[in-house]
Parts: sequence; C-alpha cells; structure tokens
Amino acid sequence: MLKKKIVNNLLRIVGEKNALTEEAKLKSFSVENVQPGIVLFPNEIEQVSEIMKLASKESISVIPWGSGTKSALGNLPESVDVVISTKNLDLIIEHGASDLVATTQCGITLKKFQSALNKERQFLAIDPPHVGRKATVGGIIATNDSGPERFRYGTLREFLIGLKVVRADGSIFKGGSKVVKNVAGYDLPKLYVGSLGTLGIIVEATFRLYPVPEYSETYIVGFSTLEDAHNTVSTLLKSDLVITSLEILNPELVGSLTKRNDLDLIDDLYTLAIGIKNVEKAVKDQISTLKMICNQNGGKGKLIIGAQEEQLWEDIRDFPWELFKAERVVCKASVVVTQIPQVLTTLKRLSDEYGIKTYISARAGNGILIISIKGKLSSIIDSLNSLRSFVSSIGGHLILQEAPPEIKARVQVWGDFGSGLGIMKKIKLNFDPNNLLNPGRYI
Amino acid sequence: MTTQHKSKSLSWKKKFRDKLIEIIGATGVISSDDELIAYECDALTGYRIKPIFVVLPKTTEEVSAVIKECHHENIPFVPRGAGTGLSGGALPTDEGIVISLSRMTKILDVDIPNQRVVVEPGVVNISVTNAVSSSGYYYAPDPSSQIVCTIGGNVAENSGGVHCLKYGVTTNHVLGLEMVLPDGEIIEVGGKTLDHPGYDLTGLVVGSEGLLGIVTKVTLKIIKKPEAVKTLLASFDHIEDAGDSVSGITARGVIPAGMEIMDSFCIRAVEEAVGAGYPIDAGAILLVELDGPTAEVQAQLPIVEEVLKENNAIQIKVAKDAKERELFWKGRKSAFPAMGRISPDYYVQDGVIPRSKLAEVLREIEELSKKYGLRVANVFHAGDGNLHPLVLYDSSKEGDLDKTLELAGEILQVCVDKGGSITGEHGVGHDKKRFLSLMFDENDLDTMNLLRCAFDTKGLCNPGKLFPTPRTCVEPGMKPFKEHPVQKAGLGEMY
Repeated sequence: MLKKKIVNNLLRIVGEKNALTEEAKLKSFSVENVQPGIVLFPNEIEQVSEIMKLASKESISVIPWGSGTKSALGNLPESVDVVISTKNLDLIIEHGASDLVATTQCGITLKKFQSALNKERQFLAIDPPHVGRKATVGGIIATNDSGPERFRYGTLREFLIGLKVVRADGSIFKGGSKVVKNVAGYDLPKLYVGSLGTLGIIVEATFRLYPVPEYSETYIVGFSTLEDAHNTVSTLLKSDLVITSLEILNPELVGSLTKRNDLDLIDDLYTLAIGIKNVEKAVKDQISTLKMICNQNGGKGKLIIGAQEEQLWEDIRDFPWELFKAERVVCKASVVVTQIPQVLTTLKRLSDEYGIKTYISARAGNGILIISIKGKLSSIIDSLNSLRSFVSSIGGHLILQEAPPEIKARVQVWGDFGSGLGIMKKIKLNFDPNNLLNPGRYI
Repeated sequence: MTTQHKSKSLSWKKKFRDKLIEIIGATGVISSDDELIAYECDALTGYRIKPIFVVLPKTTEEVSAVIKECHHENIPFVPRGAGTGLSGGALPTDEGIVISLSRMTKILDVDIPNQRVVVEPGVVNISVTNAVSSSGYYYAPDPSSQIVCTIGGNVAENSGGVHCLKYGVTTNHVLGLEMVLPDGEIIEVGGKTLDHPGYDLTGLVVGSEGLLGIVTKVTLKIIKKPEAVKTLLASFDHIEDAGDSVSGITARGVIPAGMEIMDSFCIRAVEEAVGAGYPIDAGAILLVELDGPTAEVQAQLPIVEEVLKENNAIQIKVAKDAKERELFWKGRKSAFPAMGRISPDYYVQDGVIPRSKLAEVLREIEELSKKYGLRVANVFHAGDGNLHPLVLYDSSKEGDLDKTLELAGEILQVCVDKGGSITGEHGVGHDKKRFLSLMFDENDLDTMNLLRCAFDTKGLCNPGKLFPTPRTCVEPGMKPFKEHPVQKAGLGEMY
C-alpha cells in the first residue's frame, strides 16, 4: 500500500482528474495479477519528470504503461506501486513529409500515428500485433515488437533515430537527432528499443519513414511436406525477388486461419504466405516468378488481394491473442533461417510426445518463430523446457512472451542473456540505481 | 579521463614493454621513435601525439591480456584500424598506448544461406563484398575509403557511404560483436540470430568511437545484389536546383539507393583527376542510383527524369553499362583526393541537415565562404542530407588554417540550427567534441556518461574523445538523498 502522503503528492502533480485510485478501476492495470496502488495519466512530460523525482525520493516502483497490450511480457514483477499511463501524451509533434521523418509523443496509438502519416502517403514500417487493441508507439519501442514485414524493412532499431526519455531520477534527456544520418554521441535510441521500461519512460520519438507502396498481393501456398516448403523458401531467398513478408504457417495454424477467413486452404499442410508490395507491375512480375518457384516445388496456392489480404496478415500477426482469449502461452524462438525446419520438426515431436497443440507462424527470412501452445499446464512446462534446450543447443534463443504465472514460476522467461549480462546490469544500475522502473521484470 | 597520467620513468617503460612483449612477442610491440611516428595521427593530420608504444595483437586473448595490463597499470589505450578516420578518433593519448587491430584480418565464417559473414576487425571493408560476390551478395555500407578502411573502424565510427539512403549505415548491418571490455573481460553480444534477450549492446557499441571497449569479432549481414541498377547523371546550372530535385524525388515516393551532389569546384577537380565524364561547365551535378526488381526500376526511372526536368536539369545521362556506372561513381569517390589539384590544402566538414533544407543551407554556406574569403567546395550525400563541404585553404598562409576551422565550425552551427547534426558519418572524435554541446545539453551528456561509466569506470578506453569536457564516473548509491533543512522542518517539499 502506498502511503497516503505519497498518494496525495502524486495527485497534486497530475491533478485528481488524471489519476485512478479506486480499487475496482485499478484492477485492469494489474501486472501479472498484481494491482498497482495508483494509476497516473500525466498530460505533460514535465509531470512525468515530477512523478519520477517523487518516486526516487520515496523509493516507490513505477510501471510505464502504454495500452497494456504487452504487460504480460517479463518476469513476475517485484513490486507494482505506481502505473504511469502515457495515454494523454499523444501529440504528433512534427511530420516532415519531404524529409520522410516524424516526431511524436509516445502515448499515441500506432493506428492513429499511421493514419496521420498515411495522409502524406507515408508510414512507419512496422507491423506488430495488437494494433487493433491500441498498442502505443512507446510500448512497441519498449518491447521491440514487430511483425511479418520485418523481412523487408527490419525492426524498430532501424527507424528510431531520436528520442526523449524521462530517467528514473526525473531528469529529461534526448538522444539521437531528427535527421536520418547522425553519429554524434552514443546511439541512445538503440538502448531503449526493447528495454522494457527498465531504463526510463520514453516520452517522445523520431522515426525515419517510408513511402506507402503503391500495390500489394499475397500468394498463399501449401506443400505436402515441410521439406518442400523449406526448399521453396531457400530458392526464394536466393532469388532476385524483393519480398515484403514471408511466413511459414504450420498445419494447425492454417486450419484455424482458413476457418476465420473463408480461405479454403488445405488444413494439414505447411503453408507459405508470401506478400509483395511495390509498384503494380513489379508486384505482378514478381508474383508470377514466385508462383513458378512454388509450383516447381509442388506447391498448390492461391492469390489473395484487397480486404481479404489485409485480414489474413492481421490474423497472422495477432493469432496468439485472437485464437485464445485466456490462459495464453506464447513464445518466440530465434534461430538462423536454415534451422527453422529443425525447430518445426522438434515442435511436432513435442506435440506428439506431450499431447499439446502448437500453432506456429515463422518469419522464414528472419529465423523468428512465433509459437502459441495449448495443453495441460504440466505438459506445456515440460515442452517449453525441452524446446528451449533444443533451441539453445543450435545457438538460438527462446523467449516466453506470455504465460500464466504458474508457468513463469517453472520456465525462465528470458533464458540466457549471455556474457553481456554483467554490462547490462551495470547499465541498469547506472540509469536506475534504486531499481524503481519495472523492477524484477527484465534486467 | 579521470586518471592523471604522470610521466612514466624509463625503467617503468622498459618493464611495461617487457610485459607487452611477453604477451604478444617482440614483433608485435613497436617502441622505436621512427616507427611510432606512423601512429601519431589518423587521417585528421592536424593533431599529432606520439604514443608510448603500439601493440599489434593477433588474437582476442592477446587484446584481452594487453588491456588487463593497461587496466592494472592505469594506462590509457586507443584502438586503431587502418587510420583512415577523419575526426581524430584514433589520435593517441599522452602516455598511452595504441592497440592496432591491423593484424586481425581473418574472415572467420562465410554463411551464404543465412546471409552472414563473421570477420576479425582488421578485415578491409571491400574484402567482405569480395568474399561473397560470386554468390550474388554484397556488404552494403560503402564508405569512400572502402578499399583500405577496416570493419573494426567502420564499427567504431558507424560508417556510412554513398548507398545508405536506401540501405542504411554500418549499424543496420552489424548483428553481433565479440569485444574486450576496458577491464579485459571478453564478452559476446548479439550474433547470427536476431532478437537476443537483453539490451541491444551491439547497437550501442556500433558508433561508440572506441570508447566502450575493443571489438575483436564482428557478425555482418550481407544482402542480395539487386536485379537491376540504373545510374543517372544530371547536370544543372544552379546547385539549388540539384538540391530541390533530391527532395522532389523522395516526395514522389521514390527512395533511390543513393543520391550525390557535387558543385562546380568538385566537378572540375574530379574531371582533371579521373575523367569521370562529368560535364565540366555545369554548376552542379546530381548522381541518382535506382536499384531493385527490374519492373520497379523501370517504373521509377521516368519519375526521376521528370523531377529532374522540372528542376531545370540541363542534361540527363543514364549510364549505359556497368562500366560507365562505375566511372560515374569513381568520380564521386575520388572527390576528396582530387581537391589537391585545385587547392594546396582542404578541410573536410561533415554535417547533416534535413534534406528539404539543402538549397537554403547551400546559400548560407556560400555566404560564409564570402565572409571568410575562403573557397568552399561542396560534395555530399544529398539523399540523406549529409554535407561534406570542403574548405580550401593554404597552410603556408598565416592564419588560413584558423580561419578555415572557424568557418567549418560556423557551418556546423548552421546544420544544428536547421535541426540537423554535427556529424553524419565521420564521428566526433577529437576534432568535434567542442561542438557536441550544440546538439546535447548537460542532461543528454550526463546520460551518455552513465553509459560510458557502465563500460569503463576508470576512463582508460580512448579517453579525451567525444565528450566536450572530461566527465568522471560516480558509483551509484554514493550520493544518498539528503533532506533540505526546510523539508526536514516539514515546511515544504522539494522534488
């Protein structure tokens, strides 16, 4: 419980209208079932700074919060005193269309930000999940979230060129700049991509943008064996094609997607979803080349465009959260691209062995697999642990993105941080000496 | 920076040298004055400091052992690649040693199916592309010095090149590092796979100018050569029109691989030097390179030509084959050395502006040139707003160099005023540290220092660079919060 005096001082900073203190309302801001003592909605960056100064003085923990769509990511929290929601910090500061850059406050939802950029036919080249559930720009930076289009564009580290952060002690600093090319000083924006709110509250960000591609088509194609699907991927990767998204979907996922989208795919096949965005002629030329490559490997596919295409990609991005409304177990494996088939085979074996059901979408050109698991708790725990030891044995990583606390108690969320952990801990200590920000959840 | 290095005695030096020889052998330690001269500076030759020794380790373990020795003896050390840096980043420190990575030149792993190459830091930039080009791949960052500069140096400076508009700079192509920390510990960060758990230390170390440790292994991403490439050479009477063309092209949704502008001084110097086929009487030229799938390039070409014409291009040439394309680029890449033909000396500036402000900034540079009575030649990566004004001067004329530096400094102020940066690719190093405060206030610099202190508490690793003023490291928790008497008395709060 927060002391009355601290609560009053916090309320004085943001004003009573911009705070929640009633039990009933605090529940929806719980972190892993731990309820905060107060939720604050600062209107100004200065207020965030004041809150942090107070938090430092009183040694109270602070959880930065965008829309909470990824609040399940991380170890179980050590302490949840204050939630700072960035919801009211949602101004777009500047869109320099002719410079292809934009600066925004970070509480803005990605959806709102993109629609503003789209007016100038530009966009932030990131397609993470949860966009429909109001994922914010700040939350996406803090979790380094991404989607299938990372194959073509990369992840946020490639586009975040500047930022403003409130540090744990309340000081406000900026890093990077507002121009795409800049090497003045350390590249602090990189430190904050994926820092999970542990090094400060990201309040403002500047991004490099891209022009919205003129046209788009997606070819979705099933193969009778995983080997055929993977050979197709290898050929595509070696080709001259410039593909936007390239996913391998496992049969279980195909089954559920085809039901949702009226896609009429064959449920029990490994299936590739291949999206190309470009000028229309370049899309059509490339689609015809890739159809040929798929056919040569025995693939049977269909072309989808328009609303159905958009819906398919949204479903691929969001499947773990759309298919299962509760008790979700979601993890992310990363390996080199040539090892994706081994991971898929291992998951198949684990499914049979433990009687679990796995739904998988693999970023075939990046070596990232998004895996959702259904089954008995104990089976899930055993299969996650064996999956991690397999992935580690081939030089990869497994991160638990979301799981009930009972699983987190038995399966490490982050796995091995590697030999850089010592430096990471020193950075955390220097930036947040009292361990106030998201304590316990990450570094 | 915190450590005071008193002049060391001869007997200490002998003992220290013996230790270094014990670690890496006599041929790996340079201590004679005439050989040390070669390490007194990098390509920024105006500043020179002689190091006490230079060591040339061949392995990570040797680098680590040398650094442990330095850490123990409180001796500062400066990493060095090929010494092509333009900001004095490899300038030695008084009473310090230089650790040259020039003997760590192995390409350790070429993994074509996974599009990865692992190299030691002394590998020359172009060698990476050479190692993979037969399979249809290349390493994208291509600084003008790519035939000599090393990957280790590129990592330190986060080097760019002429194709970074579309493909990004070094940091966008480095996936992992092995490095020796300033206390000698060896760590690995990132690697061949993506999304490692933990902070992005790889991204932090790239561009940290050798202040966070010494990189001993680098995992790079290689990319597929594009199906089609078209290079256009447009000439203009006025450089402002070339500048407006650049933002005109991106405004039409076209992102070329690179866009480069050269003014009339550069054109003439380059034509004399290499005969690149540039129109000698033009006020400016703009090079535009489009690449990608054939159909995409074909669709973009007429758009670009249209924009160029709208902006009063006098002549537009499209390179007819690979040979002519290479010639166009050869002219651009030899712009700096060619300056020797029109001026006894030149100073290369490196500033960045939003590309939409090119034309107005060029006018301001022109005014500054008149004000100082010094010629300024302009060559720049126009696509990403990265200017390289070359201030032409004569070092034999008294006061010319001082005036040059002052003029170059004013150009940086103009860049920052327009919302830009004091360096796009050459780094802060020694040369520009006094300008860093134009962009960053005390809080910003303190934050950078918190980061540096996490890596290097003693301040031994390339000290005296980057930061405008020396900053010390404070151990966290050393300053307990103390209540002000007013607060103690309950008379007020202070946050």
